[in-house]
Amino acid sequence: MKSIQISFVVNGKAVTLSSAPNRTLLEILRDDLGLTGAKDACGGEGECGACTVIMDGAAINACLVFIGQADGSSVETIEGLEDNGNLHPLQRTFVEAGAVQCGYCTPGVIMASKALLDENPNPSNVEIREGLSGNLCRCTGYVKIVEAVRMAAEEISHA
Amino acid sequence: MLEFDFLQPQSLAELMVALDETGGSILAGGTDVIPRMRSNLFSASTLVDVSKIGELSFIEERAGEIVIGALTTHAELMNSEVLRSANPALVDAAASVGCNQTRQRGTLGGNLANASPAADTVPPLLVFDAQVRLVSSDSERTLPLIDFFVGPGKTRLGPAEVIHTVSFPRLTGAWGAAFQKIGKRSGMAIAVVSAAAAVVLDETGKVSDARLALGSVAPTVVRSPKAESILQGQQPTPKLIKAAAQASAGDISPISDVRSTAEYRRHAATVLAERAFQQAVDQAVSLVGA
Repeated sequence: MKSIQISFVVNGKAVTLSSAPNRTLLEILRDDLGLTGAKDACGGEGECGACTVIMDGAAINACLVFIGQADGSSVETIEGLEDNGNLHPLQRTFVEAGAVQCGYCTPGVIMASKALLDENPNPSNVEIREGLSGNLCRCTGYVKIVEAVRMAAEEISHA
Repeated sequence: MLEFDFLQPQSLAELMVALDETGGSILAGGTDVIPRMRSNLFSASTLVDVSKIGELSFIEERAGEIVIGALTTHAELMNSEVLRSANPALVDAAASVGCNQTRQRGTLGGNLANASPAADTVPPLLVFDAQVRLVSSDSERTLPLIDFFVGPGKTRLGPAEVIHTVSFPRLTGAWGAAFQKIGKRSGMAIAVVSAAAAVVLDETGKVSDARLALGSVAPTVVRSPKAESILQGQQPTPKLIKAAAQASAGDISPISDVRSTAEYRRHAATVLAERAFQQAVDQAVSLVGA
């Protein structure tokens, strides 16, 4: 198995590395770059959404991308959302609405929510639920998550 | 994770060379291949990643023919204005695939190559008599999509051959098309049963063309000639649509598996067939004389 060279941008910073090709974007983010926000919860089947990051503007499961496929891309993770110590509106409203319980799914849910709001700044509750249908949460029952996204949408549109 | 060498051609020409030189397997969106590799259900000594080949990602209309590149994602299918006007059933089917994250990565070509009897994009393509174009370094051929599938996970794709495009003619006059699907839940669900219908009416409102395809009820997605022939040449009354839908049971051979039972599928297929036909007819009726 030949190593491959990868250059991509993570949270605005250029990264170049060498890797075995059978590693996923999620493994590289967590194990090589120390960005442990994105999680593995379903064992790499694309079922749970806990590893959701934004790649070239689209929410994707980082466990379903071999690292070579991320070459040349721009990736945003939960760690890139805060700006000089100021939380992103979604991070704040998730806390305010009580949409975080154990927290394991939260980074993925927030990144899926960000991709949704980037494309549709004023989603209906149905559109929020559809946008987050690939993200499982076993604590909250989703009601407060939808509420948090709604609050962030209002805050962003009034900013 | 299994070991493999990784190649990333940037063009169709480079892809042909890579396949001829390595005999490698194609990786597109990865939403099926990667979980299968992780479960040791699929292995390859070389993976040829096609995700950077931009020339195979497009949706175009050429002289009444809709042409879709194999690397078009489900997200691109569901957001296409051309497809919304030419094949709304395909738009609805693409929107029902997985979740946003998998629709952003998964491709039409991958959905076809995977050859699942539950593939969501297949019924809406079959009711438009879609053709699939296959290319290799020294040949190209076009075959009806329905003949491309041999059985679950099996296609007529040859070694070093790739899916290039899928195409179908735009319907004209008073027509309608619809997609229906039942899964275990409304999001992230693989179809327990799916159905697509396309109907064309003549100027008197009689059916000049009726087409029905059913998914997850046979080794491949199937058309239902029995249902189609009942509507042909007739006024599409609710009673006749029901009779046609019931007749579709004679064209399917559902099995029991992890997602459902044969008995449930046989019943649900007729229900979805009726809904799809009715939705297509309602749309077509609104266009008679328009």
